[in-house]
Amino acid sequence: MSDTTMDKSGTGKPGFLSAATLQKAVAFVVLIALVLFFSIFANNFATGANAVGIMQATAVNGVLGVAVTFVIISGGIDLSVGTMMTLTAVTAGLVLTNLGMPLPIGILAAIAAGAFMGAVSGVVIAKLKIPPFIATLGMMQIARGLALVFSGAKPIYFNDTPSYSLLSPESTISKLIPGVEIPNGVMIMFIVAIIASIVLNRTIIGRMIFALGSNEEAARLSGINIDNWKILTYAICGGICGIAGLIVSSRLNSAQPALGLGYELDAIAAVVIGGTSLAGGRGTVMGTIIGAFIMSVLTNGLRVMGVLEEWKIVVTGVIIIVAVFIDIVLRKRA
Amino acid sequence: MPGEPEARRPVIEMLGIEKSFPGVRALHNVRFDLFPGEVHALMGENGAGKSTLMKILTGVYQPDAGEIRVDDEPAVLPGPQAAQARGISIIHQELFLMNHLTAAQNIFIGREPRKAFNLFVDEDQMKRDAAAIFKRMKIGIDPGAEVGHMTVARQQLVEIAKALSYNARVLVMDEPTSALNETEVEHLFAVIEDLKANGVGIVYITHKMDEVKRIADRVTVMRDGQYIDTLPAAATPMSKIIQMMVGRELADQHRATGHGTTEEVLRVEGLNRGHVIKNVSFTLHKGEILGFAGLMGAGRTEVARAVFGADPIDSGSIRIHGRETRVATPADAVANGIAYLSEDRKHFGLVTGMSVRDNITMASWRRYISGRVFMRDAAMDAVAKEYVAKLRVKTPSVDQVTRLLSGGNQQKVVIGKWLLRDCDILIFDEPTRGIDIGAKAEIYRLLEELAAQGKSIIVISSELPEVLRLSHRIAVMCEGRITGELDGRTATQEDIMTLATQRNATAA
Amino acid sequence: MKKTLMTSALALGLAFGAAPSFAETYFPIIAKGFSHQFWQAVKAGAEEAAARNGVTITFEGPNTEAEIDKQTDILNAAIAKNPQGLGFAALDSQAQVPALQKAADAGIPIVAFDSGVESDLPLTTCTTDNVAAAAAAADGLAKAIGEEGKVAAVIHDQTSATGIGRHDGFVNRIKEAYPKIEIVDVQYANDAVKATDTIKAMLQANPDIKGFFASNEGAAIGLSVAIKESGANIVGVGFDSGKSQKDAIMEGTLIGSITQNPVGIGQCVVDSLVKALAGETLPKVIDTGFYWYDKTNMTDPKIAAVLYD
Repeated sequence: MSDTTMDKSGTGKPGFLSAATLQKAVAFVVLIALVLFFSIFANNFATGANAVGIMQATAVNGVLGVAVTFVIISGGIDLSVGTMMTLTAVTAGLVLTNLGMPLPIGILAAIAAGAFMGAVSGVVIAKLKIPPFIATLGMMQIARGLALVFSGAKPIYFNDTPSYSLLSPESTISKLIPGVEIPNGVMIMFIVAIIASIVLNRTIIGRMIFALGSNEEAARLSGINIDNWKILTYAICGGICGIAGLIVSSRLNSAQPALGLGYELDAIAAVVIGGTSLAGGRGTVMGTIIGAFIMSVLTNGLRVMGVLEEWKIVVTGVIIIVAVFIDIVLRKRA
Repeated sequence: MPGEPEARRPVIEMLGIEKSFPGVRALHNVRFDLFPGEVHALMGENGAGKSTLMKILTGVYQPDAGEIRVDDEPAVLPGPQAAQARGISIIHQELFLMNHLTAAQNIFIGREPRKAFNLFVDEDQMKRDAAAIFKRMKIGIDPGAEVGHMTVARQQLVEIAKALSYNARVLVMDEPTSALNETEVEHLFAVIEDLKANGVGIVYITHKMDEVKRIADRVTVMRDGQYIDTLPAAATPMSKIIQMMVGRELADQHRATGHGTTEEVLRVEGLNRGHVIKNVSFTLHKGEILGFAGLMGAGRTEVARAVFGADPIDSGSIRIHGRETRVATPADAVANGIAYLSEDRKHFGLVTGMSVRDNITMASWRRYISGRVFMRDAAMDAVAKEYVAKLRVKTPSVDQVTRLLSGGNQQKVVIGKWLLRDCDILIFDEPTRGIDIGAKAEIYRLLEELAAQGKSIIVISSELPEVLRLSHRIAVMCEGRITGELDGRTATQEDIMTLATQRNATAA
Repeated sequence: MKKTLMTSALALGLAFGAAPSFAETYFPIIAKGFSHQFWQAVKAGAEEAAARNGVTITFEGPNTEAEIDKQTDILNAAIAKNPQGLGFAALDSQAQVPALQKAADAGIPIVAFDSGVESDLPLTTCTTDNVAAAAAAADGLAKAIGEEGKVAAVIHDQTSATGIGRHDGFVNRIKEAYPKIEIVDVQYANDAVKATDTIKAMLQANPDIKGFFASNEGAAIGLSVAIKESGANIVGVGFDSGKSQKDAIMEGTLIGSITQNPVGIGQCVVDSLVKALAGETLPKVIDTGFYWYDKTNMTDPKIAAVLYD
């Protein structure tokens, strides 16, 4: 087929990038339009404090979205990100509060726990050939159960580690640049996004993740050990869930073991709205962050307008479908 | 054989059929006819136009010109339903049954008998009807058995029963024995004899010469989209049929001239894998182009994938440069300098959504990273550009996604990938499939250059002129076995076809 | 951590090991959940009463309070074990009546708890009067803001009996008793993080809110986090307990809260079943009580006993 389409674009611009970039641009335009809309129609929406509030409401979903972006680009799916986040938060609580270890150890433990559980999912998928949907559905329950078991089904508090608030509510940047009251949790989200972007675009890890998602068999026949790369992909996803776990538990000053169910769907929605294809091989981290912002701006704006929670849920659903529709239209054109 | 079928009127007549697809003339002035109670074999090389002709007969395609007559009247068959309504059915090579439904449910799908105000499916009636058809076919299949649990042979019988339930008078069978064992084949032939006796006309597409001899009344040969001739099957020698299938004279064809060195780089011995590879042994020398010829399904691709470690093998040994080597995964093969260039580039060769650069460096990425993970983009760019120039890949830049390249240029990108990886044993599976004539010549030149530079090349091709054009030596396969080896400089198409249709020739 | 693991292991062992033998009296107790602090306290009370009465219990519940079907499965499995009595907190006050009917037909005494069942099948219901409790929260909030100004509420869910009861109790009490107080907004959020963001958005929309009511532990955590993050100068009143909420009250982020008596509910269930087996008649509803608590009375032994961490 493509024999006849040779050099159609002729620009040297990779078509898949331009499609993803285009949709990222579409998502960005939607975000701006939403902000403008609410600024005009919702009293008290356009204030600095609310902007910070929106960012804070985005942080956890944004980080989880970045985590699952890796997996989705690789052609997989991870339904366990929400409960994995909870498990890592509980891990941090065990290490910091119950064992009294210093903060850096707690941070490492949470990320390591996430990476380890992610790697387990990866092994199950790559070696046992269990479809990702099912493997991570199982992992979702395993992580949730372990979080309850390890915590004794009780929240774990971080009162003995006052510096734990550094991970989310505190604003280090406001001390450096007065007036910029962005909480650390939000800054961490941006840093995670930037690093993730670099990993996906500049490192061999990212290259392999795109290759897996575009054409796993071709990658395998190129002599690439696809199993190892898959396991690494899920481990990265789990490790990033660990960061989300730190942010959420820092914000609540406690690891709440019952939290987390349903967060995976919000994260996947952010990824999809941000233009990453669920079919794999295509997507951007920045798109996911924009997607997460679209969801939280929508939620916040509708609440500020006093729209009922029930309708907010309906509108979010509509946005997801519209986003995927745009994705399909753009992909046909590209 | 029913005597004097000519005395009756043909049930099907196709005259002057023309069909073109963008860029290709698939059929030109083809004719075909079929009498009731006759088995009419349709033969030809891969791509001769048999399938296209049958798709026109069964309403899948519309002819650009020509006439189809059913029962001596002009007929228009705008779709498969229309063909079915006229009693024309096809049994596809890959069966179209719903595995989770029973035989009876499959046979009557979409037209189930109803009961109780048409609200419920009358399963009992359906089973009785199916049982009646099976009885007529003299086969013992339980109408209530789930199709997914049956052997392929029985599934095929269910397909035939389904066709008969439409009162089929014309049955097209596309290589019906390709997945059957000998007893199953005998059983099928018995069913076919029975259908004949009941006046059903059968178009029998096959590559297997002995089957034609066994059950066909007449044979029609097609070549390059054209009708060649129709002859009585029993009276025509096999060699004549082969000659008609191969056809063209080779006087004006380029032939391989060189030969490899005597240095052995690859020795495969006693390779077995299920029913698809049977005791295959061969050697490959440095600087040699070894052709693998055979009909579709002969097992050539399977051998290539096994040598490359893409599929597991049951037994056999592989020696590379004289050393016994375990090749369990493609990664092992690549590490030992073996590359496999699949016929299906889009699925197995290229990551089509990624750029020329990414594809060329895909197998050699370790050389282009720093700090263990970071890609050295500049170095990747430079080497990709080097190979684009060396292989004369036509692309606006190395950033171009490979999906947008032509087939020939895609093939060159894959070649580049393996050359960069220092592979010196290159296995090409249908290297010019989907590539236009001009680009083909260039790929041929490229392969010859590579061989001259000391690379060892295996070329799997279904196009006989291509095999003869390139190969220093030719291994011919049939049904998982190597049935013979020919000298590329002297072999003829007839030689190859004889070996390629030699079933059970070297039964171990 | 060791201790937690040990107790978890013990709890697991108990749950698995507690297969009823015919010799002993066995009551399955089916809650609406088990991971929430509140249910853990109910369980503790039930286990205490079981030990005191020399009976065996199991304590089970679905993963989330939306899984009515799962709870029904648990109920059916429990009835199949032919227990001597059954404790049940219905997720849906009507949907599970048929399943309970099976237990009643088998002559198994039933005690409902936490929220009622719309039927005569349970011998009694051990519960908090949610409407009265939320009205008490309204009183506490009204007093703290001088009985005038704007208030709002975040409720933990739209559909359960406790959510509806607390919503109605709070809203009606304010409307009836405090004409100068205006309820500007009521929203719903089912976990602490979502409650936080919801409350912040509500405060954003109505900067002149003076008081806020949060209807369960998660909502109350969200309320205290939202107050801290936004720096809003408002009066917060919570519901239930938990360490976060207790800390917030101690440091003044929330001024007070309502506690039910979860330990008492658990005890009531087991005690009532024991009494029923002994042939005693039980009242239709046993109010296990609730308390207003704030900085001043949190350490009072009577209050401290029903608070949980």
